[in-house]
Amino acid sequence: MDMQRPAGLPHPLTGLTVVELAEDPAGEYVGRLLAEMGARVIKVEPPGGSPSRAVGPFAKGQSGPDASLNFWFYNSNKASVTLDLAGRDGLAPLKALLGRADIFISTLQPRALAALGLDLESLTEAFPRLIVLSVTAFGLTGPWADYKSSDLIALAAGGPLNSCGYDDHSIPPIRPGGNQGYHSAASFAHIAVMLALLERQKSGLGQLLDVSMHEACAVNVELANPYWFYPKVQVKRQTCRHAQPSPTQPALFRCADDRFVYFVLIVAEPKAWQALVQWMDGKGMAAQLTEPEFSDVAYRQANFDQIQELVECFFLVHGSDEMYKEGQAAGLPIGVLNAPEDLFADEHLVARGFFVDVEHEGVGAVPYPGAAYRFTNFAEVPRTAAPKLGADTAAVLAEVASEAGAPHKTTETV
Amino acid sequence: MMSERRSADQGAVNMQDSSIAAAANLASQTGAGSRQPGARRGPLAGVRVADFCWMGVGACATRLLADFGAEVIRIEDRNRLDMPRRLPIYKGEARTYGEEDANPDPNKGGLFNNYNRNKLGVTINMRDPRGRALADRLISASSVVTENFAPGVMERWGLVYERLNQLSPGVIFARMSGFGHSGPHAEYRSYGPVVQAVSGISHISGLPGQEPSGWGLSYMDNEAAFFNASALLTAIYHRNITGVGTEIDVSAVEAGINLLGPIMLDVAVNGRSTRGPDYPTGNRLEHPQAAPHGVYPCLGEDRWIAIAVFDDAEWQGLLAVAGDREWTRDPRFASQAARFANQDALDAHIADWTRSQDRHALMHALQAKGVAAGAVQTTEDTIDHDPQIAGRGLFFEMDHPVIGEALFEGTPVQFSRTVQENWRSAPLLGEDNAHVFKTLLGVPDDEYETLAAEGVI
Repeated sequence: MDMQRPAGLPHPLTGLTVVELAEDPAGEYVGRLLAEMGARVIKVEPPGGSPSRAVGPFAKGQSGPDASLNFWFYNSNKASVTLDLAGRDGLAPLKALLGRADIFISTLQPRALAALGLDLESLTEAFPRLIVLSVTAFGLTGPWADYKSSDLIALAAGGPLNSCGYDDHSIPPIRPGGNQGYHSAASFAHIAVMLALLERQKSGLGQLLDVSMHEACAVNVELANPYWFYPKVQVKRQTCRHAQPSPTQPALFRCADDRFVYFVLIVAEPKAWQALVQWMDGKGMAAQLTEPEFSDVAYRQANFDQIQELVECFFLVHGSDEMYKEGQAAGLPIGVLNAPEDLFADEHLVARGFFVDVEHEGVGAVPYPGAAYRFTNFAEVPRTAAPKLGADTAAVLAEVASEAGAPHKTTETV
Repeated sequence: MMSERRSADQGAVNMQDSSIAAAANLASQTGAGSRQPGARRGPLAGVRVADFCWMGVGACATRLLADFGAEVIRIEDRNRLDMPRRLPIYKGEARTYGEEDANPDPNKGGLFNNYNRNKLGVTINMRDPRGRALADRLISASSVVTENFAPGVMERWGLVYERLNQLSPGVIFARMSGFGHSGPHAEYRSYGPVVQAVSGISHISGLPGQEPSGWGLSYMDNEAAFFNASALLTAIYHRNITGVGTEIDVSAVEAGINLLGPIMLDVAVNGRSTRGPDYPTGNRLEHPQAAPHGVYPCLGEDRWIAIAVFDDAEWQGLLAVAGDREWTRDPRFASQAARFANQDALDAHIADWTRSQDRHALMHALQAKGVAAGAVQTTEDTIDHDPQIAGRGLFFEMDHPVIGEALFEGTPVQFSRTVQENWRSAPLLGEDNAHVFKTLLGVPDDEYETLAAEGVI
């Protein structure tokens, strides 16, 4: 199968308009995902810019609303329109935009919505085809609906954090990097909005989608939930490997270049064991593991510590990349712990054309991660840089004014 | 995604047959909640999925389709049981997942129940040409085909996109793998932790200068599943408009790289090194410069609270809860920039203060003053005690003929129109063979009996 990124194919969400009033990565990420599939995403920002523009890191020591890499990451392929929702004109221009939109993304919690006089339920009544996607910290209802959150707080209260950290439990649980609480919410928000679009293809009607980051985290703990549903046991965190009801062997091995590989030593499976010993032997480091007594599973289990020590030595004198590729060639599921900077030169990613260049004024071409899915018969749109603050205000408002009174039509048909 | 498989013995198969009888009994006794498949409701009603997925990623992705109306038919192999059917996550038995039985009851596994609710289940022996012919018939009657085998398995059966598209014109064929179906590492073996390592999201997690703490779960099994589900929904939406299907290739590693977040651009634009002594940052947050921003000990064993203060107003809120203490007047903590610069000292004072307090009581006290705070909750907390989650009905219960009543993790979305129809717990091994092969595909009774007797289904 040729899964290179094809050019010239149609985009599945072409013709859809999204209005995004999002202030955090959860709402912004889902807007970006829709934009990549062809939707026109209009980001509505206050005159001073979305709060996400004030979050670093910033490009090349610059500052200001157009230099935030946080903003760049989550807002490529969007248009920016500034509206003073709290000002004299209030919500009128926003509602004019929503009148011609298919999807409205909001990250405002109930108190913030009330302060603006924005009622999401009444929007679905005023605009029956509109899909209103609310993505908030705790959802729009419930006793914690207005509690403050952040990525750390979401991962803590939702549960994933309890599984992450070190063997040493005097060290607190450690937050996994990269905004994964927000990303968990974005994943479900994306699924929800696609389901609502499919629903609208049948009924012609939009609806209100109320996504809770807290709940998205609570169902994103993998085995920890079934371990409580069924045996009613708690898992305990371990260094860079699955939290388990009882301790398991370390799975990080340090290599000669001071980098790590992840490898679970399983002595009970004959095939994996033979592959490992053969590999070590080929590099002259199997030591006593080739002795006949080690062909017995019970003996291996009884001497696990001895084996673990030999494997540690084996990795310690070889480079991580060599261990990764040779281990995989031997059929062992082993992974090198790449740093982000290692990824640009990864031969596999290069061959798949994964990173895509995005031109940024004054900075040049910047490699962005490409879409996470590839389709043979349609494609994502070419990636463009996040908009400068208010770049599209005049054009979009003029468009709205010229179309006032004419109902918005989408290309969607069933 | 791992390609090991093991053989189930005859005993397990017998157990399965008696379980189906038990299921029939249960349904007739209670009269309620027949396990018999019927017409589905929801935005995906009318979409039939020939689902070759197994393990976590695939099953988690197609669960989302099954929840919302698709008729997802899991195709299983009696001789190569799906790992979640084997893992010893059983009621009343606390075991680590390495401690599995040699001959497990395939219908007892909680993880399988968790991943496969609302789906149908059939068994097909794909090593028998009659089994492959039956699979072809099922594919011809379906409009979506899904799989997450090691690369090469579907090819060995001749089930490539071109062929599937002949069997079912306009088919959507979703392939889920660790590395994607092209490129020099396409054959590499992976599961969640390997994907997390290679994509970089393990490396960016941990205390500076120490080995990465990474992930204590297969986060990328779930997230790759979610990307797959979105891709499938996008493809179905597109097909509804154009009539054109597609093949889908999702690489879990590439999904993981997308989830690295803004640090990826810090590296790309600014040449930031993430291997220096200042990265990763543990629980501290560089952008914006929050402080305190950490996880602090509370009353009880291994009990913690996360606290995040982003500005002076929130700091004042924290002080209102802490009361008058010497450190609250310390000039080193007088501004956000000062607090950020003096985090070592600040964190020590905060930890001293939180250590004697109940994590939930402190969380609510801080939230009442406008401070972002959250108890580090266990699954016991979120599933059994969290009023926010309980009030929105996230977790729900369904009965299972072998396991009994069980809780399920729902969808963290309240839809005002779309219905999530939870019609049945996970299928017993081969539970829907008769329904699917005889009723849907029209296999005659005598042929069906032969296929069953000769181990084809």
